[in-house]
Amino acid sequence: MEKIIYAIIDANKNNANVDYQIKNIKGLNGSDLFVISFQEISAVVSNFDTSKYSIKKELAIDFARVIDELSHLFTLLPIRFGTFLKSDEIITQLLTDHYQPFHDNLEKVRGKDEFGLKLLWDYDKSKESIRAEVEKEDLNPADYFSKNTVNTNYLLEKMKKYRLEDALLKHVEHFIDEISSLLAQINPDCRFNKMLSPSIILDAVFLVEKQRKGEFIQVIENLKQQHADLHFLLTGPWPPYSFMEILIDN
Amino acid sequence: MQENVIDQSKDITILELLDRVLNKGVVITGDIVISVAEIDLIYIGLKLILTSVETMQQRRLTTIKPNC
Repeated sequence: MEKIIYAIIDANKNNANVDYQIKNIKGLNGSDLFVISFQEISAVVSNFDTSKYSIKKELAIDFARVIDELSHLFTLLPIRFGTFLKSDEIITQLLTDHYQPFHDNLEKVRGKDEFGLKLLWDYDKSKESIRAEVEKEDLNPADYFSKNTVNTNYLLEKMKKYRLEDALLKHVEHFIDEISSLLAQINPDCRFNKMLSPSIILDAVFLVEKQRKGEFIQVIENLKQQHADLHFLLTGPWPPYSFMEILIDN
Repeated sequence: MQENVIDQSKDITILELLDRVLNKGVVITGDIVISVAEIDLIYIGLKLILTSVETMQQRRLTTIKPNC
């Protein structure tokens, strides 16, 4: 029987009444949760027979449910779905070997929630509008090429394409600056992923202090009012999935 | 009232949730982890959902008119 790990929490079962607190939370397939502790941290796990149950999308969704319920009780580090280990001893060793990074990350996310923001635009329409801006400035071949050769037109076309891509990226970067500036007072930890696809221009995640959640949402609401041409997808609050800086390769 | 800005649609929530549990969180790999092949199939499924949600949102976006 394998063990599946859900999260690392900031409690030791000998010091806190962890077993009592988690007794009403069920693991995957209705299994009982239990904890394996080392110093001030614990791994929340349950038994899972990988030969008996098939791994489906619904199981991943249920895994997220367990993490969400735990997040209401403890500061935690979510573990990526699909981490099955052979024994309790391996989990204890994992906690022992990586105690410090687990401890440091728990401190970093304490009292904070994650929010996700995706910004979508009408790619074709926006591209044409930005292209019109870019093409206001004429490209003079003499500024770039010493001789007018048969390749000049090709190179000019390439340059126009590059300038358009550059302008699109600058447009997104300008937007990131605007968001960052408006959020400066709230000072969330943030990660921006630009141009995830032609239509998703920004995929951002924010780690926001729970008590400043209202201010954060208000800033996004204001931005939304100012940018009717963009579609805002704000989700959360989530446990701090996107702010884990731990990769353990044993 | 503020909560209205948070997207509550089921497709988006599930997509965002799967993106997190499958692609984020603490990563533990190596000999100590038991590999389960079906997890790769969920990843492939997630990419399909992402494409369909993106298409759906794009369609919705093109119908948005300012000041409506």
